[in-house]
Amino acid sequence: MSLPCGIRNYNYAQDMAIFRTKTHWGMLIVFLVLLFTVPPLTFNHLWLNTVNTIGITLIATLGLNILVGYCGQLSIGHAGFIAVGAYTSAILTNRFDMPFLVGLIAAGVVAGCVGIIFGLPSVRVKGFYLAITTIAAQFIIIWVINHWGLTGGFEGISVPYASIGGLVFDSDVKQFYLVMVIVLMAVFVAKNLMRTKVGRAFIAIRDNDLAAEVMGINVNYYKLLAFFIGCFFAGIAGALLAHTTYYLNAEQFSFTDSILYIGMIIIGGLGTTIGPMLGVTLVKIIQKVLLPIYMVPWLENSITSLPAGFATGLAPIVFGLIIVLFLILEPRGLAHRWNLFKAAYRLWPFSY
Amino acid sequence: MDQLLQYVITGLSVGMVYALIALGFVLIWKSSSVANLALGQIVLLSSWFTYSMLVQANLPPIVALPIVIIFALCLGWVIERFALRPLIAQPILSLIAVTLGIGYFIEGVITFIWPWSVDALPTLFPQEVVHIGPAVISQEYLWVIGICLAVFVLLTLFFRFHRMGVAMRATADDQMAVQACGIPVTRVFSMSWMLACVVAAIGGVLISSIGGITHGLVNTGLKAFSVVILGGLDSFVGALVAGPIIGLLETLGGGYLTPYMWGGVRDVIPFIIIIIVMVIKPFGLFGEKRIERI
Repeated sequence: MSLPCGIRNYNYAQDMAIFRTKTHWGMLIVFLVLLFTVPPLTFNHLWLNTVNTIGITLIATLGLNILVGYCGQLSIGHAGFIAVGAYTSAILTNRFDMPFLVGLIAAGVVAGCVGIIFGLPSVRVKGFYLAITTIAAQFIIIWVINHWGLTGGFEGISVPYASIGGLVFDSDVKQFYLVMVIVLMAVFVAKNLMRTKVGRAFIAIRDNDLAAEVMGINVNYYKLLAFFIGCFFAGIAGALLAHTTYYLNAEQFSFTDSILYIGMIIIGGLGTTIGPMLGVTLVKIIQKVLLPIYMVPWLENSITSLPAGFATGLAPIVFGLIIVLFLILEPRGLAHRWNLFKAAYRLWPFSY
Repeated sequence: MDQLLQYVITGLSVGMVYALIALGFVLIWKSSSVANLALGQIVLLSSWFTYSMLVQANLPPIVALPIVIIFALCLGWVIERFALRPLIAQPILSLIAVTLGIGYFIEGVITFIWPWSVDALPTLFPQEVVHIGPAVISQEYLWVIGICLAVFVLLTLFFRFHRMGVAMRATADDQMAVQACGIPVTRVFSMSWMLACVVAAIGGVLISSIGGITHGLVNTGLKAFSVVILGGLDSFVGALVAGPIIGLLETLGGGYLTPYMWGGVRDVIPFIIIIIVMVIKPFGLFGEKRIERI
């Protein structure tokens, strides 16, 4: 069902191709052209900002998806690793006047190394034990950020605009292009990494780590590699977040955010590349636009006696419900629905 | 010296509360292998509910506290019936994630109903200080230790003699065999959730009667995981032993290390212990070592 009607593969290259037909390529090019022209030209500040946030979050969730969805190592401290990246870049560019690109790469590498450190227990334990370790990592990282002089502590740290050469990314539109280019690179890497030896090793470890070990896969090496890659993506996302918000504070990287990152990949569908895209887009649009701009004023107008904590309490309630309902009703996430939809329109009007 | 004694008493009482909350975790883990990460939020929710009963509804404690217990029972039943029951036999990742979702949901409900986020419970225990040797100790710490021990004894008796307690131990031992014997496993699951919520609620009321109700109670629930990890995931004795150890390390470390470290070191000590235990002895002091067979 993964191919349009009448298309057959005759060699390995065709079988492996992500974009198999000319129509696929055409749709990709049209999508990219639209992506790079429509939002910056037509969206207002709110929507463009939302799209930028979606892009940044997508990079982070792609990393989390590699770690959780492909390699099966549950991490509930992803916001902590994003914080590591954000602060690395902020410190390098603010305190040491390094260029943005150095900060960006360093953010990824440092976050990856911190990820390896906290991923070390994964060599011995898995499942719930690992989840607890990453929760601990989250709290230890935030504590260090709040108390280390270099990070500005509770007062936070201001971050200069991103700049490459003479080009300063100081407006929504410019940041949009910066973020989207990096998002495309991240999607390309994430999608293709899973088609290599490394990705297949990750999947083998997820499905059965004992069997993977027996087959000659170096389980410890690949688990730590998954932590490095996942947290590298988180670090890159953190650096972009730092350079688009201009001001960092440890409160931006709370434990509830970590839960929401897990929620996003569950809503999207674990172990797929389209999943994080759908999940992040849905969650961020609800979080940034639907709830604060439309739902809350509407409810406040239509129901007169609302409790005072209504506006802040609504988002956790909605997302908590969405996570639970998706796990119960559609554990394979939106990605599965997307595949069903594709199969349906390819077969239409005959359902067989 | 008197300072040391004070730290020890505080540490013991905080540790006993951790042990109680940890017990709530172990109960569920043993019977149904579900890792309940919403524990912190359940603690916070039941503390706020107690606040509502005692302050907003202005009930006397003798009426309010049983209502809290009933509320916790209902909470446990609802969570198990509507979120966990449909997910029986799903991979551990879904089970962990669903409790995270529940926790997130509860957090929203709490902000919804009690938006001011910090408050104090009325005093439940006598306030007079007690003199033990040179140390001056607030009486409520001793009460907390006493109540925790009483709950432990009650639970032990329940598991030893009550039909349901025996069924729960049997389920923990071998789910298939229990099912074959005609014991309703789903009812055992639901019972363990209800008990766990009650235990967590008692812990929440005790700790918030001393420290007030803040969002930090969620972190208290998370800190209880260090007790679970140190004691061993499936061991009641482990929770009972590890709770005071964590409590002592936390207060002693917070008391004596703060001058040499950054502030707030007290709050991360449990998390550092988690990492250390994970690297050295991942199955804890009393936990059952899992040997994987192919």
